[in-house]
Amino acid sequence: MDWELLLAIFPQVVMDGLVLGFMYALIALGYTMVYGVLELINFAHSEIFMVGGFVGVEILLTMQATGWLDTFNPFVILIFIILMGMAVSGVLAVVVERVAYRPLRGAPRLIPLISAIGVSFFLQDLVRLGESLWRNAFYLTYPSFAAFNTRIEIAETIDFSVKSVIVVVASLAMLFALQFLVTRTKLGKAIRAVAEDQPTASLMGVNVNRIISLTFLIGGAMGGAAGVLFGVQYNTINPFTGFIPGIKAFTAAVLGGIGNIPGAMVGGLVLGLLEAFAASYLSLLTGGAFGAEYKDIFAFSILIVILIFRPRGLLGEVVRERT
Amino acid sequence: MTDVPSPSGPTTGAVDVAPGLQRWRSHPVLLNVLVAAALFGSAILVWVVPRSIIAFMAFQASLLVIYLLPLDVRTKLAWAAVALGVLMPMLGTHNGYYMEVAIQVGIFVALALGLNIVVGLAGLLDLGYVAFYAVGAYLWAIFGSPQAAKFLPIEGVFPLPAPWFFAFLILGLAVGAITGILLGLPVLRLRGDYLAIVTLGFGEVVRVLANNLDKPWNITNGPKGITPISRPPLFFEPALSALGIDAPPSVLYPLLFYFMVLGIAAVVIVINRRLEGSHVGRAWEAIREDEVAAQAMGVPLVRMKLLAFAIGASFAGVMGVIFSAKQLFISPESFTFLESIGVLAMVILGGMGSIPGAIIGASAVTILNLQVLKGLSLWLNELRNSGLTVLGYNLADLPSQFEPAKYERMIFGMILILMMIYRPAGIFPARRRKLETYHRGEEPAA
Amino acid sequence: MTLLEARGVVKRFGGLTAVNGVDFSLDEGRIASVIGPNGAGKTTLFNTFTGIYAPDAGDVRVGGRSIVGLTPDRITTLGVARTFQNIRLFKNMTVVENVLVGMHARVALRLWDVVGHTPAFRREEGRSVRQALDLIGLVGLSGKEDALARNLPYGDQRRLEIARALAVGPKLLLLDEPTAGMTQGEARELMAFLRRLISEFGLTILLIEHNMRVVMEISDRVTVLDHGEKIAEGPPAQVQRDARVIEAYLGRGRAGAAAP
Repeated sequence: MDWELLLAIFPQVVMDGLVLGFMYALIALGYTMVYGVLELINFAHSEIFMVGGFVGVEILLTMQATGWLDTFNPFVILIFIILMGMAVSGVLAVVVERVAYRPLRGAPRLIPLISAIGVSFFLQDLVRLGESLWRNAFYLTYPSFAAFNTRIEIAETIDFSVKSVIVVVASLAMLFALQFLVTRTKLGKAIRAVAEDQPTASLMGVNVNRIISLTFLIGGAMGGAAGVLFGVQYNTINPFTGFIPGIKAFTAAVLGGIGNIPGAMVGGLVLGLLEAFAASYLSLLTGGAFGAEYKDIFAFSILIVILIFRPRGLLGEVVRERT
Repeated sequence: MTDVPSPSGPTTGAVDVAPGLQRWRSHPVLLNVLVAAALFGSAILVWVVPRSIIAFMAFQASLLVIYLLPLDVRTKLAWAAVALGVLMPMLGTHNGYYMEVAIQVGIFVALALGLNIVVGLAGLLDLGYVAFYAVGAYLWAIFGSPQAAKFLPIEGVFPLPAPWFFAFLILGLAVGAITGILLGLPVLRLRGDYLAIVTLGFGEVVRVLANNLDKPWNITNGPKGITPISRPPLFFEPALSALGIDAPPSVLYPLLFYFMVLGIAAVVIVINRRLEGSHVGRAWEAIREDEVAAQAMGVPLVRMKLLAFAIGASFAGVMGVIFSAKQLFISPESFTFLESIGVLAMVILGGMGSIPGAIIGASAVTILNLQVLKGLSLWLNELRNSGLTVLGYNLADLPSQFEPAKYERMIFGMILILMMIYRPAGIFPARRRKLETYHRGEEPAA
Repeated sequence: MTLLEARGVVKRFGGLTAVNGVDFSLDEGRIASVIGPNGAGKTTLFNTFTGIYAPDAGDVRVGGRSIVGLTPDRITTLGVARTFQNIRLFKNMTVVENVLVGMHARVALRLWDVVGHTPAFRREEGRSVRQALDLIGLVGLSGKEDALARNLPYGDQRRLEIARALAVGPKLLLLDEPTAGMTQGEARELMAFLRRLISEFGLTILLIEHNMRVVMEISDRVTVLDHGEKIAEGPPAQVQRDARVIEAYLGRGRAGAAAP
């Protein structure tokens, strides 16, 4: 075995894992927050994420067509598309809740889940339809920025691209903002109260519907931001992009203990790192017998094993059984 | 604790399907004439204009008419036998595409009935159902093609001779059931929504495995898929020749598959009905209604859930074997999450826990996909090629990427959302059995 | 002979000890009641007897056989049947189907019998249906066999739950607040019915009850729980005079009004 090679790529793998992990963490927040307040696996969240990516690419392509792309500072543009992605995805998440989940509140648990799966599929084809009619193409590529693709060399074998750093920094900023919002503000207190005990929160004068909408807005916005960052990082996006990252992010949420906000962040990072290591080392360690293709199986296996043996997740939020 | 909505139909017997039509019950002659007119009228229409989708849909609708009219069960079965046993094969030979549609409908009816046991009766949301279908399909694909020789060091055995196909039908049943149990054992203690996600993960794992098991040993041939897969032997060909009928294989194979699928679907329907009307079916429904109470009444939860999983999976396994033989080629692309959701949409559209619902749901969704959407696509293409200009818009400019046939996801999605919100029990909700339909054995001496 | 015996049963939920070292025994052919203020651990104790919870410590024996660690369905096949405090019928199944589910464990059929509709299937199914109809008649629901359980009036739902429990073929019947929501007259009727079950079917019955008049009238023995501990036990008349019992019920100010 080539230990030197294993060692040499180690920092690179860690960085890849972090980028992936922060992306998962951002998406996982949407799953975990909605599960916290509604005990619903918001299956459509992966499409909320995907829509964010499309908002980003649409804006960039439009700017490219008008020539504005070169007139503005790329970082300003980046911040602008992240904000727009957050806004559109957040609002979409709220609309989805209104239309497809709220009428089903109080129904047996699987009913809104089935509806959520329906929304997920519907949104995939809706975006596909829109882009087919609008651009006659639905596999879209992010215009690249020279500034983001520059690589920062740290050592001879270690260099990071600027966009990887952007993903990490932007994710960290948003995660801290969210943590502040949830733990330090009145709004956050209301969200936690609704998650803890809806009827009581309602008796205490919390407007439960408003808080639920707000939860979808925040979770959706985080997903939208992740979508834009995903596009910037990996360049291409299509209507079905959301599925795999969605499942992975849900895995991350479960890993960290679903309903638990810091858990989603930890779960995302752990999963991202595990996956990056699996992708890079599996092939090396098995002499090429099992390659990076198995990283998906790896993630699914983690999901299955955690759900079966430790459904509370790593950080161990106890999910109450609804009877 | 109830995880799936329950059928809320009124307590009506098996025969009276559409209450509004009941007053015609006393006019059986009129009803039979009506059925005959609908059936033969539409069949002639299809024969005369074989390319008209609308004509074929009229024929399909006349089958629904048989089901809905208040005829007694024997008469209905006789009409169904005429329609499916005689008319459909004739029409399908006349226009091969309709035969393909009919075979696909049959396959999906069997799949929907299998999933109906798991989701509809036992209340376990299985999002990876297509995995069992894939297992059956790969089973025959690997051994019924030269593929097996690529990883088994045996010369000159593979592909197995065509008659082995029939053994593999049984094997597909068994392997499907075993896979169902292997998946079920660890996961059936999970709560409903977690179970759903784990089955989804399982389905994806199976697909990814199929996609990647071309190394280190080439078992599945990876994304390239497996071909050519052997078809079952045309065992009835000599008999036909003796009768003086000489038909080319291109006619006989579809007929063979059609009758095979029809037969298996019929068996699956009978098994479903019998299970539903037994202590097994009642135990499943009790689990769906209230797990805790069911267990307290002596229903062994894990065993009954495993049984539901195994039976549902075994139907999928058999159908997988047929599918791979019919297609001659399979690849992991045929077994995606989309397929699982498609079957789920069929069950939900028809009505969870309802056998007629599963049949009609599967037919409706398959016909919608294969006929209506494809028809729209063809029509749009014709418009594009016509070069016409409507209201100043040149139809040739219609985006080429816009193809209605590819919008299954939107259809499935809308079915799932709309049914959950407006009609969770489905279009043909399950009805409760009345006491008189139960076997009461010989009455005790008074 | 002792049918049900519990020794030092403990059940904790997180930091809360719901049942704390309770000893209990019940002889065959008797009716006993468990009473106590709300939250005293009565239903939790029931749940340890029926396997819904495994006790954290202690032992529960039915007919001399330990049931700790057995699943509820296994315990049911040992002859223990129950009803639930908040009625848990199979709401979307008919009356007769509800009762038939109770017979599940007693149906000796293989899958092939069901799928092949063998003579054994017809015989067993016929027998089950006849028994179910008998039980439905016994609890006074004749003529409502085809009604959906959820469409029954409240009192009928309670009766159906008892019929379903009897379908299990129990030696021991555990009833969790069977008279809740009933008028005094209906409750009396039910008690007469329970006495009949004991004399005709040789059943043994354990009740959780809030209706003191019922408890005192029917019980051979009364066990009083408070805060998960047994504070008194004995014949009704003796328990009624017990100072700790009176305190448990009345010592909480107005809360005593909840338990007349």
